[in-house]
Amino acid sequence: MRYFVRKIGFFVLTLWAVVTLNFLIPRLQPGDPAELMVQNLAGKNAQLNRAQVEAMRDLLGAPSGSLLSQYWNYLVQLIHGNLGVSYTYFPYTVAEVIGKAFWWTVILVGTVQVLSFAIGILLGAFAAWRRNSRFDTSVTVISTFVGTLQPFWIALLLIYGLGYGLGWFPTAGGYQASTPGFNGAFVYDAMSHAFLPALTLMIVTPIGWILGMRNTMIMNLGEDYIRLARAKGLPDRMIALRYAARNALLPSVAGFALALGGILGGTILVETVFDYPGLGRLMGEAVGIKDYPLLQGLMLLTAVATLLANLIADLLYGILDPRARRAAA
Amino acid sequence: MTSTSFHVRRGQRSWRGIIVAALSVGVLVLPACAGSRVAGEKEQQGNSSGASSGTIPVLNLATESDAAMGSLVSYNPFAPQQTVRTWLFEPLMQQSSLDCKVVPWLATGYTWESPSKLVFTIRQGVKWSDGSPFTAKDVAFTYNLTKKYPAIDLAGVWNDSFGAKAKSVTADGDKVTFEFEGPAVTKFPYLIGQKIVSEKEFASVGDPAKYISKNPISTGPFKVASYNGRRLELERRPDYWQADKIKVQKLVLEGNYSTNANQAAAKLKTGELDFYSGEIPNPDKAFVADDPKTNHVWYAANGLTVLAPNLTQKPFSDVKFREALAHGMDKQSATDKATYGLMKVASQSGLPLPEKDDLLPAKYPADSTVIPFDLAKANQMLDAAGYRKGSNGLRQDTDGSPIKITFSVQAGWIDYEAMADELTSNFRKLGLDITENKMPPEAVDQQKKTGDFQLMINYMGAGCDYAHGMGATVSTAEIPDKTTIKGNIGRYTNPAVDKAIGALAGATDEAATKEQVGVLVDAMMTDYPVLPILYAPARAIWRTDHAVGWPTAEDPYANPQDQPLVWITHLTAPSSK
Repeated sequence: MRYFVRKIGFFVLTLWAVVTLNFLIPRLQPGDPAELMVQNLAGKNAQLNRAQVEAMRDLLGAPSGSLLSQYWNYLVQLIHGNLGVSYTYFPYTVAEVIGKAFWWTVILVGTVQVLSFAIGILLGAFAAWRRNSRFDTSVTVISTFVGTLQPFWIALLLIYGLGYGLGWFPTAGGYQASTPGFNGAFVYDAMSHAFLPALTLMIVTPIGWILGMRNTMIMNLGEDYIRLARAKGLPDRMIALRYAARNALLPSVAGFALALGGILGGTILVETVFDYPGLGRLMGEAVGIKDYPLLQGLMLLTAVATLLANLIADLLYGILDPRARRAAA
Repeated sequence: MTSTSFHVRRGQRSWRGIIVAALSVGVLVLPACAGSRVAGEKEQQGNSSGASSGTIPVLNLATESDAAMGSLVSYNPFAPQQTVRTWLFEPLMQQSSLDCKVVPWLATGYTWESPSKLVFTIRQGVKWSDGSPFTAKDVAFTYNLTKKYPAIDLAGVWNDSFGAKAKSVTADGDKVTFEFEGPAVTKFPYLIGQKIVSEKEFASVGDPAKYISKNPISTGPFKVASYNGRRLELERRPDYWQADKIKVQKLVLEGNYSTNANQAAAKLKTGELDFYSGEIPNPDKAFVADDPKTNHVWYAANGLTVLAPNLTQKPFSDVKFREALAHGMDKQSATDKATYGLMKVASQSGLPLPEKDDLLPAKYPADSTVIPFDLAKANQMLDAAGYRKGSNGLRQDTDGSPIKITFSVQAGWIDYEAMADELTSNFRKLGLDITENKMPPEAVDQQKKTGDFQLMINYMGAGCDYAHGMGATVSTAEIPDKTTIKGNIGRYTNPAVDKAIGALAGATDEAATKEQVGVLVDAMMTDYPVLPILYAPARAIWRTDHAVGWPTAEDPYANPQDQPLVWITHLTAPSSK
């Protein structure tokens, strides 16, 4: 029990730290958001229009009171689920803006993560089982090579090849001609637009799982219980899957939970390249335009998702692996 | 990197600079590969264009702001950013910042009855998109709304931003009268740009800044036909007040590419985009070279990029030192590197030439105001002014103390970086100990406010309000303070200039304007408060296969970037192929 209490306590403490940092960081940035907004709208080859800055200050509302009272207000707002109003999408609230982008990313990257995890684990386990075989060598070498490529670079190659070259897939946006909603045309439209970003991510994301799984599996294969299983004359497939792979999976499960949490912030470049209407693109935009409320909302969402995933992984781990529970106690 | 990309749209983002630069590498690979899907769309367009002669069935343009979350739509023209505003809402008059000619729009004429009283004659027969008549009352309503809600007073009518505050705006018959507390002629270019909204729509919505408009009532040439959150289709209004001039039947707006100008370059090439005024790296090579008959680019001189020394610090406080620097800058090379030769070297006068030749005082012939690069002369001037070289080969101050210059550069603004690199190497050749300090643009902005810098690159306004355009760089009132960035970052002060700028607010005729602008030019030519490098552009990149009649260098009837409403009335279908 102490294990779970400790983990939850740790979660709350980290959450508080994240919220506080989230409050402080924008306030430490140089520059006046109103001036930045006006300059951004006009471009750098334009004089800062003073009337517009004045109006923008009025619109955004300057923070008032001491830092401490601002902090208190921020916490109270957060508890009420109020993330503020986006500068860029004014007068829409941050929650509304994030809500629009949320599902695009969750569906795209969520699917990719689950598939990558499954593929990566299988390939990794098989490579380890057939260690030093031609299969193992090629998987390892290819993974290591592809792992050094930047996803957005792969994205550009795919846009060039499959998008402009062959013209098979649209290269920008989440959908084009259809009306959003649950109808065939839209689902098809959205899927064809999601294909290239998904492919880009599918090329890169399994690599971590492949290499990680292969290494833990190789370690596990050297353990005594494997030798015992072999001595007992159990069939190879059973030893590979039920014994070695199962044990080797444990660290990957924790990693997987973290990866799911990281979905929200991990695809800024890929989404930007594809002009995909998801959270990554939104975050890129918020950083660029210095839309602090939106940025804070996104950071908070990412942090909370990661922390929650972490907590769940910890709790699951405690259930799955009694050693963890005992060690922590 | 510098060779692939010199523009970073809305530059304030160094990491985006990296992406853009990286992507630019990509776009150089992209040319000339119209895919089959793209070709299909093109064919559709081609087919329908033959349907009725003289009309342009479809024109593809960019949205006005980033529409990543496009389904959060609002057609409220007072919102800070929206997908479309230009094609729906109209101003009273249009003034090209290039030649300052005034084009009547919702108002047919104006008179300054005195420098503090301005009367517009409002156009009759204009209809709102819901069919109701547009009147002078709507105009007065709009301006008074911006009085009640300062957050939407983007034209600064009711504060003293660009001249005296307004006292009242009233409608009477077809006249709308503005009364100001003092001379306010300099407010004109901002004031006429206010988008006019209908009293019917806005009278009952409460705070207009927070109002989400889904069904706008507007006077413009187009109205919303459909929008699915990404692709916005606008259809021509047959009851538009100058509908005979609008040949475009439908506008399709999809994306604004601000995060990825290469998408725009690719779409321009395949004909999926007809006009773009964002920043595409090296458009001559990336776009025009593909098909020079159809693909065009025009970057008009719309302001100046200048080298701004801090005049409160030695050695920049010495006008002789600044003059020597002006001769020691290889502006041509800096311009070529920063803009791929698209822009021209700027005149020391502070005026974009040849557009504003008329305003130059007679004693400065236009050609003589561009200072040629002459290292020998610059060296000679520095020697004569007492900045001798020490034993280490570096120049020393007149009192023998070493000179050490730090050049603050906006990191990620690739054109600025290219200019800074070139000028730094020029100045080193003069024997100056100068180093570049590249930092985030916000940090440079901070230095503008505090005045804690030696040298940086800045933008010098042009436009038609000379008091707050070019004047902003030399006016004492425009010295930045701790909280606000203003134009005179070098902290230049000259009572004659301040007087001229004050007088401009009361100058209602051209002769008076020219006289006062002459004072500013004089200060620029003799005091060297800033050292102009090159002209900053108003950009236009366009195709002529769906429509012709765009503003060009040969026929600069409009500022392509700021006056789409003007050029849309000039567009016609290309003559049959």
